[in-house]
Amino acid sequence: MAETQAAKRLREYETIFLVKPDLTDDNVDKLKERVRGIVGREGGKVLRFTVWGKKKTLYPIAKQPRAIYVHASYLGHTKLVAEVERNLRNFDEVTRFLSVKLADEVDPETRPVLEDVKLAGDVEETRPGAAPVERVAAEDIPESADEEATEEA
Amino acid sequence: MIGNDRNAPRGGDRDRDRDRGDRDGGGRGGAGGDDEKRGGRGFGRKKVCRFCAEKNAKVDFKDQSTLKYFVTERGKIIPRRISGNCAKHQREIATAIKRARGLAMLPYNAMVG
Repeated sequence: MAETQAAKRLREYETIFLVKPDLTDDNVDKLKERVRGIVGREGGKVLRFTVWGKKKTLYPIAKQPRAIYVHASYLGHTKLVAEVERNLRNFDEVTRFLSVKLADEVDPETRPVLEDVKLAGDVEETRPGAAPVERVAAEDIPESADEEATEEA
Repeated sequence: MIGNDRNAPRGGDRDRDRDRGDRDGGGRGGAGGDDEKRGGRGFGRKKVCRFCAEKNAKVDFKDQSTLKYFVTERGKIIPRRISGNCAKHQREIATAIKRARGLAMLPYNAMVG
């Protein structure tokens, strides 16, 4: 009885991986699903995926100044982490990854599966001039824009 | 900037009992002696490890904004004698900074100027 209980206990891990910045949201989602598939296949449990969005890296990675950060927290055994990392190494889009153990002996029943989160990233911050200029332009010429639209129509 | 659920509730409930407890648990054998020496010289104030003082504060390599305090402008790790961390938390900080560097969240070597 004790043995079966011990076998059910899993470890909690988190893996952060960096993806090339030119990937679309759909492709990132696909990548997420592939990782989720691997964890499920190996008898683990994905708790949450968090896409941090496109962030500026402090030094160029894969000759790019930005990267999309994806954070995954999951339960599993050591072999699962090895398998996930092996796969990440094979994905061309993934440039970096880091796995860290968060806790030992977690009962999978007690940890609910949380909804995936998507954060905006800081692409806007890097180009502060772009957004306000567009907004001002739209406010200044709403009438003329309408007139043009009607003329064209 | 970065989602960090664990650091969300910052404890503002400091009390004297806990301070005393920390000092006992910190294992600083020569605390009294240190104070006397400092009194003799008449410099400085006692630095407190902020991770010991605040129980809810945890070292997390994903928390860029906190790690920034323990890194110079150039990206070097600030020594314990200056940051005031206890040995345990300095070790944790150092590993966290090294992990963050690997993910390009902190620089290995930042250019100044």
